[in-house]
Amino acid sequence: MINLTINGKAITAPEGSTILEAARANGIDIPTLCYDKAVEVYGACGLCVVEAEGIPKLLRSCSAKVSEGMVVNTESERVVRSRKIAMELLMSAHDGDCVAPCQLNCPARTDCQGYVGLIANGEYDAAIKLIKNKISLPASIGRVCPHPCEKACRRQNVEEPINIAQLKAFAADMDLKADSYMPDVQESTGKKVAIIGGGPAGLTAAYYLTIMGHSVTVYDMMEKMGGMLRYGIPQYRLPKEVLDKEISLIEKTGVKFVNNSKLGKDFTIESLKAENDAVIVAVGAWKSSSMRTPGEELDGVYGGIDFLRGVIQGNAPEIGEKVAICGGGNTAMDACRTAVRLGAKEVYVVYRRTRAEMPADKLEIDEAEEEGVIYKFLTNPLSFNGEDGKVKSITLQVMELGEPDASGRRRPVPVEGKTEEIAVDSVILAIGQKLVQGDVSELELNERGNIVADADFFTTSIDGVFAIGDATNRGASIAIEAIGEADRCAKAVDAYLNGQELDTRVPYISKRDEDTIDYSDREKKDRVNPKVLPADVRNKNFDEVSLGFTEDEAKAEADRCLECGCREYYKCKFLNVAQRYDINPERFKGEMPQKYSHDENAFIERNTSKCILCGLCVRSCREVMKLSSIGLMGRGFTTDVSPAFSLPLDETNCNNCGLCVQLCPTGSLTEKFNLPKQVPLNEQYSEEFVEIDGKKSSVVVSRYNGKILRVIPNDEVSRNSGLSREQLRALVD
Amino acid sequence: MDRSKVDLSLLDGVLSEYAQVKGSLITILQHTQDIYGYLPKEAIELISEKTGIATSEIMGVGTFYTQFRFEPVGKYLIMLCQGTACHVNSSELILQTIKDELGIDDGQTTEDGLFSLKCVACLGCCSLSPVMMINEDTYGSLTPDKTKKILKELREAAQ
Amino acid sequence: MRIVIGQGSCGIAAGAEKVRKALLNTNINKDDISITGCIGMCYLEPIVDIYDDNNEVTRLVQVSENDAETIAQYAQSGDKSLLDKLIVSDEDSEFLTKQTRIALRNCGIINPEKIDEYVGAGGYEAIKKALTKMTPEEVIDVVKTSGIGGRGGAGFPTWFKWNAARSSEGEEKYLICNADEGDPGAFMDRAVIESDPHNLIEGMLIGAYAIGAKHAVVYVRAEYPLAIKRLKKAIEQAKEKGLIGNNIFGTDFSCDFMIKAGAGAFVCGEETALIESLEGHRGMPRLKPPFPAQSGFWRKPSNINNVETFANIAWIINNGGEAFAAMGTEGSKGTKVFAVTGKVKRSGLVEIPMGKTLRDVIFDIGGGMKTDKDFKAVQMGGPSGGCIPANLIDTVIDYKALGATGAIMGSGGMVVMDESTCMVGMAKFFLDFTAKESCGKCIHCRIGTKRMLEMLDRITKGEGKEGDIELLEELCYSIKDGALCGLGQTAPNPVLTTIKYFRDEYEAHIKDKKCPAGECSDLIEYRIDADKCKGCTLCARNCPVNAISGEVKKPHIIDTDKCIKCGKCYTVCKFGAVVKE
Repeated sequence: MINLTINGKAITAPEGSTILEAARANGIDIPTLCYDKAVEVYGACGLCVVEAEGIPKLLRSCSAKVSEGMVVNTESERVVRSRKIAMELLMSAHDGDCVAPCQLNCPARTDCQGYVGLIANGEYDAAIKLIKNKISLPASIGRVCPHPCEKACRRQNVEEPINIAQLKAFAADMDLKADSYMPDVQESTGKKVAIIGGGPAGLTAAYYLTIMGHSVTVYDMMEKMGGMLRYGIPQYRLPKEVLDKEISLIEKTGVKFVNNSKLGKDFTIESLKAENDAVIVAVGAWKSSSMRTPGEELDGVYGGIDFLRGVIQGNAPEIGEKVAICGGGNTAMDACRTAVRLGAKEVYVVYRRTRAEMPADKLEIDEAEEEGVIYKFLTNPLSFNGEDGKVKSITLQVMELGEPDASGRRRPVPVEGKTEEIAVDSVILAIGQKLVQGDVSELELNERGNIVADADFFTTSIDGVFAIGDATNRGASIAIEAIGEADRCAKAVDAYLNGQELDTRVPYISKRDEDTIDYSDREKKDRVNPKVLPADVRNKNFDEVSLGFTEDEAKAEADRCLECGCREYYKCKFLNVAQRYDINPERFKGEMPQKYSHDENAFIERNTSKCILCGLCVRSCREVMKLSSIGLMGRGFTTDVSPAFSLPLDETNCNNCGLCVQLCPTGSLTEKFNLPKQVPLNEQYSEEFVEIDGKKSSVVVSRYNGKILRVIPNDEVSRNSGLSREQLRALVD
Repeated sequence: MDRSKVDLSLLDGVLSEYAQVKGSLITILQHTQDIYGYLPKEAIELISEKTGIATSEIMGVGTFYTQFRFEPVGKYLIMLCQGTACHVNSSELILQTIKDELGIDDGQTTEDGLFSLKCVACLGCCSLSPVMMINEDTYGSLTPDKTKKILKELREAAQ
Repeated sequence: MRIVIGQGSCGIAAGAEKVRKALLNTNINKDDISITGCIGMCYLEPIVDIYDDNNEVTRLVQVSENDAETIAQYAQSGDKSLLDKLIVSDEDSEFLTKQTRIALRNCGIINPEKIDEYVGAGGYEAIKKALTKMTPEEVIDVVKTSGIGGRGGAGFPTWFKWNAARSSEGEEKYLICNADEGDPGAFMDRAVIESDPHNLIEGMLIGAYAIGAKHAVVYVRAEYPLAIKRLKKAIEQAKEKGLIGNNIFGTDFSCDFMIKAGAGAFVCGEETALIESLEGHRGMPRLKPPFPAQSGFWRKPSNINNVETFANIAWIINNGGEAFAAMGTEGSKGTKVFAVTGKVKRSGLVEIPMGKTLRDVIFDIGGGMKTDKDFKAVQMGGPSGGCIPANLIDTVIDYKALGATGAIMGSGGMVVMDESTCMVGMAKFFLDFTAKESCGKCIHCRIGTKRMLEMLDRITKGEGKEGDIELLEELCYSIKDGALCGLGQTAPNPVLTTIKYFRDEYEAHIKDKKCPAGECSDLIEYRIDADKCKGCTLCARNCPVNAISGEVKKPHIIDTDKCIKCGKCYTVCKFGAVVKE
């Protein structure tokens, strides 16, 4: 035996063993991407380098042998620097998306590709579980979300994005119909959390903290929970019955609801703090913003959310026959379409830019127009004119579009001397909303009048008090933004309650350069939208406009997904090492060695643009299987792994043993699932034994949601059995 | 050369001499290329059969070394030296001249099948830089005009 | 009288074979016409040496086939004045007289295709002496005394490698000669094989005897067909004489010889890649350890030396290790051959004792610049080496001293540059080379060299940005540390040395978007000086994109929007009116 020291720890190792073997035997992890016991040592990746005292060069621990008295450091500054650059270089030549852009663009990081794929495969219960990891009110959010996910969806480069939001609503509706999914709630921690505000932010935080085992009470000033989802979104978009069902599921996890209880009146932050271990302030923004236009104080001029709330609560304000809505966002759409439904004859939307710049959802803009709304583009109110204190008309300044501003949208500029006047009975100002400041006077506010909350930890000026949602920092935003914050805040609060430090670093993931993606070989398939009530029917009542997807429609729509995210995301060794070091491959950005490519047979899928040339596939195919179905082609930067003459795998002697797939440290070679749509899923792997021709044989089985996804041969017997994957699966079942 | 008419019997001699001698793959490929001017797929398959070396490995070796080609080349293979001395003495101008004259890029063959152009590593005739080799002949101290003249002469000789 | 025509590759390329054929067509007795290899005065090729009956030589240079008749007349008349125009100048003769030739001692003198001429020059005496009078250990001792280090570049003590291979267990061992001379700008090894192949064979036989190998292998790069041809011939001749084969000189020592031709991969100069290639595989380096001395060709103990190293061995055995060690410096013994090229006046092969200076080689022997521009730098060691700037011209030729500059001794390529060479462009040239030649196995070399090349490319195009130099340096050090083999580990050297000595040039490209040497086409503009332009229209007629306009006999102008900066106008203008800035 040889005595040596690794990272200050004295160890012994058999003579002739490598430093890597010695380290691993003693629980010291040295990263490597090209080493595997199954094949000969190769030394390509250079990640296993270590520093040994007295040896000037870095040693590749996969080949350097231990020697008596050796002093090894596996994580020295020089070693880490070397690994970091190696990973940056490798990543700069790895053309792949770890995670789909839809998920990345969702403020709550909902796994859109995952649930869309599961829906395509008809796995609705698995889909809802996946959704509920991030969204506790998916049927509601699916209906109201302006879906940033779809804005990032690459399918729009073929024709139109996937209808992700509606698919979410579909899966959630399916779940609400029968046995609804209930998460496992962890054992009670005995910690108490009070949440002020039962809107999407407060409810989300409550849901996840409860699942974590904390005792949560939500206080809300209104008579029912739901916040803006209930009091700001019209019935025809989000029926209260749907919202009620979802809220009741949250309540069922064990959250306590206290309604009609107002901050500053019934309790204070300090009073809640005294009774709880933590307080989350999620009070929202309930005051309509002013336009600072003369005449705003006139009767008949209403705030957008005040108007909507009044309608929902059954005390709609008097709006008359001619109504003008000022603003171009979704609240403006909600207001104008509600006004139509209340029976107004002329409903105007006054917006200072053009249709193209409107922040509201395109569908909403179109549907409102179908319902009879009249758009007054390129106009801006100069004054609201009244008689006897009541609004009678608006003077509009005519605008034109000038140079683009910081947001990239062309700035509207007044056309000098050109004005217009329209007669109105009422005006609804839908240009934004603000926090009611008096409520949160205990907390430090910023210059915008919002609560100052830490971007990562959501902490406020009072220890143990956290704040999220529309009331904080930059002010009001969309629900999914608040939900994302709430989810992260729940983790921060959990860590706070456990006295732990939360790691808020965003782990590195690989993203493809959008400009280099080629869609030319994609077949066009029209986006499926759920059917809607006819305009002349719906503009007279508050019935839900969308009829929702049928199962066939949902599957057809979900099937359009381009599967951008990598299927091996959850077990990618390459990504794992990348995330271990603080890498920044952007600085080495350059040409990609391989074109994004695709070759598949019944079981194996190859994409050489993700290949990191560790050579494990080629070496194992040659050394272990003696097949050499694939080889290294070319040299240098553009070296490629391919069968001879670039043949497809199916035309080689490949016997689908799956060894290459098993050894591939990234997503270049993958084993396909037994499902029509390939979805990146956090599978559970286990080694199991089957009997083949009377011999016991090992296979690796992956399961998700209890279902077998893949069965990969794991020893000589199963690799050479000639059995198909179906036959192997049957043996496991 | 028509692919379907690759006369594999031409390989008999090479294969009987080397097929069973271990480590001879590169030698066999060199002889094969001498025979056909490139490495035809059919020949590679035959070599694989006779030597027991997988086609993926033969292609791996073939594509690793710059000497090997997988497409037929023109009657005249121009190998333009990319060595340091040639670089310092403006081989770039010669490359441009050849490209302009023949309308082909590195690695391509003219439509009439007369010329192929290949930029190669240092030919070791640094004192005569810039240098090119056309088939077996070396041409040194090139200027754009001299290069044009050489190409013109070869073209005329071929007609 | 004998007429000997220098027929190395360079000579042939310059027209030596045409000269020989022309001479054969004269009335000179054909038996009197023979060939030799490369004398090393490449810039004067084709060279014809005329030996009179007293073996006095008259050297004719830059001979053309049209001179054959003149030579024939001289052969008849003995009237030397006929040759006046052809005889080498005294100044050019110094190119040779200032050298000390050991490795090249027979080059350009004997006929490389005739073993008798080698034997006549004392050839195969050393192997005879070693086999009949010395033990292998004694041979290693003499080599140790000589202090010779590996001439492939690193200078690692030859005796040490031999000793390691000798000590390795195993009956079957291999002695391998690395003739995969791939450094652009280096051709010493080619010259030795083409001009004196038996010297290589003899050196290898001695090496094989010393380490106990029965098999000798020469790995020659495919681009050297003439070298392969002459070496094959030499091996045949040596076999016929019993110098290769069983029981050489009647001793127990037997050794066979094999030539393997490379197929175009620079990385095969790295010893483990060379072994992979010998075995018929992709030339991708193996991990070390194990070293070839323990597990090399066919996993047997193997020793690999460079051509020039072997070319010195017979001389060392004949003259003793001390004689060799008497030349050179403390740490670098004997002589070294350099291939001097580039902007130098007299280019060719120069063998000089270690300890001379770069100035001795470039100015004293090489004659300085051939242009009217100043000497700027010399690149040593090819893509693995570095640039040494003008102010270090007095650096001594010694492994350590050269290493201290950031360059290396290398295998002997010396590319001389004048002020018109852009150093960023030079670094880019070498990175382009190493990136193309990277085998692709390890990350640092495969991707690192490519990324460096991309950065350098951006810089020469004027797209460099603040921080690029630092990023390049960071990448350089990381590649040196992390690359698997020598090719990758040394690839950053040209970048590091040019940054070290010419940082201002990099900064000019990055910050001012200017190329001080006026070489980077994206950063220069051509303009016509109206005062100098005579309106001859030559430039306009030569412009490939019709960017130049003007009337006859009136100053022309260049439309800079159309101009593709090919430089043709600059080259053709007879009045210096085209200005590059």
